Amino acid sequence: MAGIRLEGLRKEFGHVVAVKELTLNFPDGKFAALLGPSGCGKTTTMNMIAGLETPTAGAIYFDDRRMNDVPPGKRGVGFVFQNYAIFTHMTVAENIGFGLKIRHVDRATIEKEVKKVAELLQITDMLDLNAGRLSVNDMQKVALGRSMITRPRIFLLDEPFSNLDAAFRAYMRGELKRIQREIGQTMIYVTHDQVEAMSMADNIAVMDFGVLQQFGSPDEVYNRPVNTFVANFIGSPNMNFVKCSYRVEDGQGWLVQHNGNARVPVDDRRRRLLEQRSDNAELILGIRPEHLHLHSQQDSPDLLSVTVHFVEPLGPKTVVHLRLGRDIVRAIAPAAYRAATASVQWIGVDPAFMHIFDGNSGLVIR
Amino acid sequence: MSKANIWRTVLRYVLVIIVVGMFTFPTYWMVSMAFKPKGEWSSAAGTIYWVPENPTLDNFDTVLTEYQGKFFRANQSSALPSIRSSIIVSVGATLFALLLGTLAAYGLSRFSMDTGDLPWYIALGRMALLIIAMLPFMVLWARLGIIRYWYGILTFTLLGIGVDQAIGRLLARFYKGPTGSLAFSILQLRMFPPMAIMIPVMLMWSAFKLVDTWYGLVIIYGVVTFPFVVWLMKSFFDEVPRELDEAAIVDGSSNWGAFIKVVLPLVKGGLASTALFVFILNWSDFLVALLLTTRYWPTIPVFLNTLVSSEIGAQHGPKAALGLLAVIPPVVFGLMIQRYLVRGLTFGAIKK
Repeated sequence: MAGIRLEGLRKEFGHVVAVKELTLNFPDGKFAALLGPSGCGKTTTMNMIAGLETPTAGAIYFDDRRMNDVPPGKRGVGFVFQNYAIFTHMTVAENIGFGLKIRHVDRATIEKEVKKVAELLQITDMLDLNAGRLSVNDMQKVALGRSMITRPRIFLLDEPFSNLDAAFRAYMRGELKRIQREIGQTMIYVTHDQVEAMSMADNIAVMDFGVLQQFGSPDEVYNRPVNTFVANFIGSPNMNFVKCSYRVEDGQGWLVQHNGNARVPVDDRRRRLLEQRSDNAELILGIRPEHLHLHSQQDSPDLLSVTVHFVEPLGPKTVVHLRLGRDIVRAIAPAAYRAATASVQWIGVDPAFMHIFDGNSGLVIR
Repeated sequence: MSKANIWRTVLRYVLVIIVVGMFTFPTYWMVSMAFKPKGEWSSAAGTIYWVPENPTLDNFDTVLTEYQGKFFRANQSSALPSIRSSIIVSVGATLFALLLGTLAAYGLSRFSMDTGDLPWYIALGRMALLIIAMLPFMVLWARLGIIRYWYGILTFTLLGIGVDQAIGRLLARFYKGPTGSLAFSILQLRMFPPMAIMIPVMLMWSAFKLVDTWYGLVIIYGVVTFPFVVWLMKSFFDEVPRELDEAAIVDGSSNWGAFIKVVLPLVKGGLASTALFVFILNWSDFLVALLLTTRYWPTIPVFLNTLVSSEIGAQHGPKAALGLLAVIPPVVFGLMIQRYLVRGLTFGAIKK
């Protein structure tokens, strides 16, 4: 077991900066996810941790040992690739036992260890099959087994489930979490799927354009996003963003919509924060769809008038797309909710769940 | 079936038979001639024998034994040394080219820092500059009388490399584009027909005492076929995902281990078809062997050529017999690797 510490890690490919001064601390024995859109540098970061890429600058520590100059095979990491990298000219057992064979472990021990891993993954019955003939789902398990056999201190998984069909992916999410708990090793998991990250990880590092945006527990990144990127990337349907500015009227602070005439009151704490700032003309109000409450009548004077754009029934819930002035916002309604297009409805905003961002920098104000 | 359709089918088959006949008849003729007695293969009698009427192994006997008698015979010496020579040289050269070419191809496939292909006019300009720059040195080396000796050739070659590098640096000052891909430069070597360089090679080989040695032939064949091996093998390696090497490396292998245990087994089909391709090139070469052998190491094609002369006439029967023997190794090799072959030969053709 080992914790991983990245210090000012940077990687350039020619003129392209893939990772910019990344400083991160993955705690020992925890399941962490590196989350971000394609090309944000998450795979490059993984490759640097594994030793497959040499950092341009910065350092990588496992516990307190600097790993920059340690060759990949000696770092004690297990790596599962997005395309599994199965050795198709070997059997399943040979694939799983590869790491031990390289280390010249005797045959009996290899057999025993392979069997143990196969049992953990529930693939004992296919050990003698040619690995090239497996289904994608089984290849995934073999790749996982091969990375586990040498009992690495750290597991790195690069989008391991992106090629699986939806049902098996959901199953493997549970399996992986179970395996991680059983072996208790540090796992880092690269994904662009926020549901995967949210459902499995103890900690999530959100990256964009090679820059770390936020690192925290799923709760933290979901409920306390530090900027509009994180707020937008995490959560489905996405968070609603409404351009607005801050104004004081009738002794009360208001966020006033730019593309319409809606306004919502600001609580005292936020009001103090906003009033310390010099410029409140460009703000963004962020609010998650589940924190917008739909009403068919104006039950209270604070409700905002909207018209229904369209209704999207998803089964367990219904997403309602609404026009608020010239902005479109989404709200989540119960499964049975239906409303006619263009009908007038009312929404209430829960001030406790409002996120206010600086319109220029995108950073949260709190 | 209507009448028109029947005729169309008949016509189609007739055409197929004609084309197949055109391609297979020479082979048939060689096989049949190998077993004909002299009276049947020579046209002296004015009759054409389509099949051997008195099949005989005389032609094989003639070509494989040394002649001791005092009467005149087609060949004085046996073809056995040339068969040995062909086998040693072709196998040796194939292994040589495969060993170096495969390693080079793997390197180019995995670690290349190519920046795109050089435009042809820059490449050509650079070549022309090099030749112009080297001309005075050539004259000087000739005047000094050292161009015929190994040290003269060596110094001239090293100087050439140095001058080429200098020209490259100079060009880089004015031209800020792609600097060219190494893989393509290697293939470009093949754009010189080997014959264009054979006269200088003859001089060099004679200076280095490589003429009429098996290793002299191995080196020149290896060098000439090296680009083929690199180009073919690189396309095979490119098909193997990099993640396979990386997976092996993370699991504890060295770069070498990943190459030998993981990547090489996956391209063994490609390796086999490349080997066959190169082997056939070496095996059937005539001109290089003719120019670089004299007495001890003529290969089969060179020996075949001695079966025609003004003294003995054209010895078609023995030639056919030796030709038939010469066909055996490539055919056997080809059958052995048949299942890889079709894939191998169509491989680099289609890029995804």
